[in-house]
Amino acid sequence: MAAAGKISVASRDVLALRLLVALVIFGAWEAMSRSGLFYGEVVPSLLKIGASLIKLLLDPIFYRNLQVTALETMLALAIGAGAGITTGIVLGANRFLMRAFEPYVYYLSPTPRIILFPVMIMWFGVGPASKIALGALSAFFAIALSTAAGMRQIDPILIRVGRSFRANIWQMAMKIYLPAMRVPILNGLRLGMGTAIITVLLGETKLSNQGLGYLIMQIYTRFDMPGLYALLITIFVIAGAVNALIGHFARD
Amino acid sequence: MAETFLRRRAPELFGVATLVASVLVFEALVRGGVVNRYIIPPPSDILLAFERVIVEEHILTRCRDTAIEMIIAGGASVLVGVPIGALLYRSSLWRRAMEDWIGALAAAPIVLAFPLFLVLFGRSPKTIIVMGFVHGLAPIILKTVEGLASTRPVLINVGRSLKMTPSQMFWKILFPSALPVIFTGIRLSWTFVLITIVGVEYLINLGGLGQLINELAERYDLPGTYAGICFVVMVSVLFFVALERVEAWLQPGR
Amino acid sequence: MASNMNQSAEAALVIDDVVKRFGRGQEIVTAVDHVSFTVKQGEFVSVIGPSGCGKSTLFNIIGGLLGDYEGAVKIGDERISAPHPAVGMVFQEESTFPWRTVIDNVAFPLELQGVAKSERMDRAHHFIDMVGLASFEKAFPSQLSGGMKQRVSIARTLVSQPKILLMDEPFAALDEQTRLLLGDKITQIQQQLNQTTLLITHNLTEAVQLSDRIVVMTYRPGRVKRIVNIDLPRPRTSDVVGSDAFGHYVAEIWNDLREEASRGMADSESAASRRAAHG
Repeated sequence: MAAAGKISVASRDVLALRLLVALVIFGAWEAMSRSGLFYGEVVPSLLKIGASLIKLLLDPIFYRNLQVTALETMLALAIGAGAGITTGIVLGANRFLMRAFEPYVYYLSPTPRIILFPVMIMWFGVGPASKIALGALSAFFAIALSTAAGMRQIDPILIRVGRSFRANIWQMAMKIYLPAMRVPILNGLRLGMGTAIITVLLGETKLSNQGLGYLIMQIYTRFDMPGLYALLITIFVIAGAVNALIGHFARD
Repeated sequence: MAETFLRRRAPELFGVATLVASVLVFEALVRGGVVNRYIIPPPSDILLAFERVIVEEHILTRCRDTAIEMIIAGGASVLVGVPIGALLYRSSLWRRAMEDWIGALAAAPIVLAFPLFLVLFGRSPKTIIVMGFVHGLAPIILKTVEGLASTRPVLINVGRSLKMTPSQMFWKILFPSALPVIFTGIRLSWTFVLITIVGVEYLINLGGLGQLINELAERYDLPGTYAGICFVVMVSVLFFVALERVEAWLQPGR
Repeated sequence: MASNMNQSAEAALVIDDVVKRFGRGQEIVTAVDHVSFTVKQGEFVSVIGPSGCGKSTLFNIIGGLLGDYEGAVKIGDERISAPHPAVGMVFQEESTFPWRTVIDNVAFPLELQGVAKSERMDRAHHFIDMVGLASFEKAFPSQLSGGMKQRVSIARTLVSQPKILLMDEPFAALDEQTRLLLGDKITQIQQQLNQTTLLITHNLTEAVQLSDRIVVMTYRPGRVKRIVNIDLPRPRTSDVVGSDAFGHYVAEIWNDLREEASRGMADSESAASRRAAHG
């Protein structure tokens, strides 16, 4: 009982500190916005951002573009995950292929993917296909590497146990490999989803006529700063929620 | 000798051979008219375009511009991130309150806010540097906290048994023990910084290597675009390999 | 108890009626319960007991890492409540600094004291030689075996020439053969330096092989059950393990320990079944 009481007091302190920090940030923001030190609407009042947020969330245009981006991202993730998990399993199961090809996947993974966008446009046109391709390509690396690593990290004793019970290949896959790899695969999907969202949206900002990335550029050209803040906050919240959701399933 | 080398390196050689073979296949497909050369130029054209891109596109100046942005943004994230991490480690309350937020910051697609940064800092290298810095900060803070917190308790007890002062404890035990993890943070951070800087250069068509791709693509110089992309990918792979080497070199005997 | 009568040699360390309780309210646990014994100058004393007899708590109190306790641990007239320069500690866990070479590890305490570099290298070298690692001075701990790393820790503690060497199961993670051979090394060093040593251990043969006296502790709460004098000849080597006298001491102490160890086992089994019942 004493211990439980102690923990809840500490959590209350954490909550209080978070509130305090948030208040300080909001206060500083509001002070900056009212000081008149910044040009135009660069630092708009929180009230204006709030109003824009409400307007945005009531606007059908937002949902139409959200739908486009969501669909592109889901397709990108599906393609990237299909290719990534397959590649990961092959590289994780076969030492020869791992040594032959994994360095390429590993060293290409931290390169700036967005610069491949011109090539994607040449291959797939200016429509959603080029964004999906770019997103899939980005997601592929994280998922393949995570799956391959997960495959190799399976405790060899589990595999020996399976063999000792004379499990066949199918049983080994379903009863041993898959459960043991759930966490690394889901983690790969989480990372892949993150980069797919970013690259799809960046592609849309660069060249497109629909999607949330396109909407960002529309609002930017109108110089509607409160609207830009509102849209970016919404996108961050959505991306964070998706990340947290997959992360929740990836926990043991 | 030669035979054992071949046998020992067979997988790597197989990988390289596959790469070369697929390039040759593309060459044949494009030259044979199976693949449209206005979508994929023949690899030999791309190879030839390398010289043109390097000579005519001020590649050295561009590398220098990107490198300067890199150094400022990456350096600033270390100089700011490590002390913040150390402070967070000192206070468990602050750490518990802020660690999740910083983790969220690390995962947030901040690069999307580039139009905002354009408004705040103008269409100048400042925008690119600030965006690189913001992306590079979170991993360093998180890894610094993690590194300090993962110091083995027995090493802290050794320090206590020797009556070390708090500052001796930090500089002689906590910090060296955390250094490998901190450097992992620096490697992650600088990788993000490079990706962000090149990406933003491309998106806003300004400055170094990212802009090179944009210009070549807008000119519809196909072999040039492919060559430019290959060049930038090679630069970032080299940068990444160099970071890994330094990381290994900084940890003698570990 | 006979040994306590023999006050001819000066007591280097006095443990006087030490009590340590953990927790508060109803969940209070007495880890160390009115423990008293002394360690004389140049003597090798072991504290032995089953897991949960409070011997690690005692180690932390004597080392000054656990300042809040009742009773007194005294060096001369000084009551220990913080790490004391006269006490050098060797920990159970591997505690070398992985970022320092062997010689830099051993020279570490001298570095803190501000000893000049050439002198501290000389002194570190002397103790590295003593633990038999002279050819590994430039190696990093990751290149050494578990037993070698513990020897580095021992040399690092000896280099500041503590009056009392305090060790907490330094060989617990090692295999039996290595443990016997390292025991020889410890005996040799202890005789060479006439080093006052207090060893905390749960290993019977190790305690008998090394000690002049053994303090047998009871299972929770940790009390002194008996103090046994080990009258095996010195200089001693691990050959002594084969002697009749050695077997006699082991059997005698095991008689005392068996009861304590089985109480500890019963306790942990009932705790496990409680956990299982609560799901």
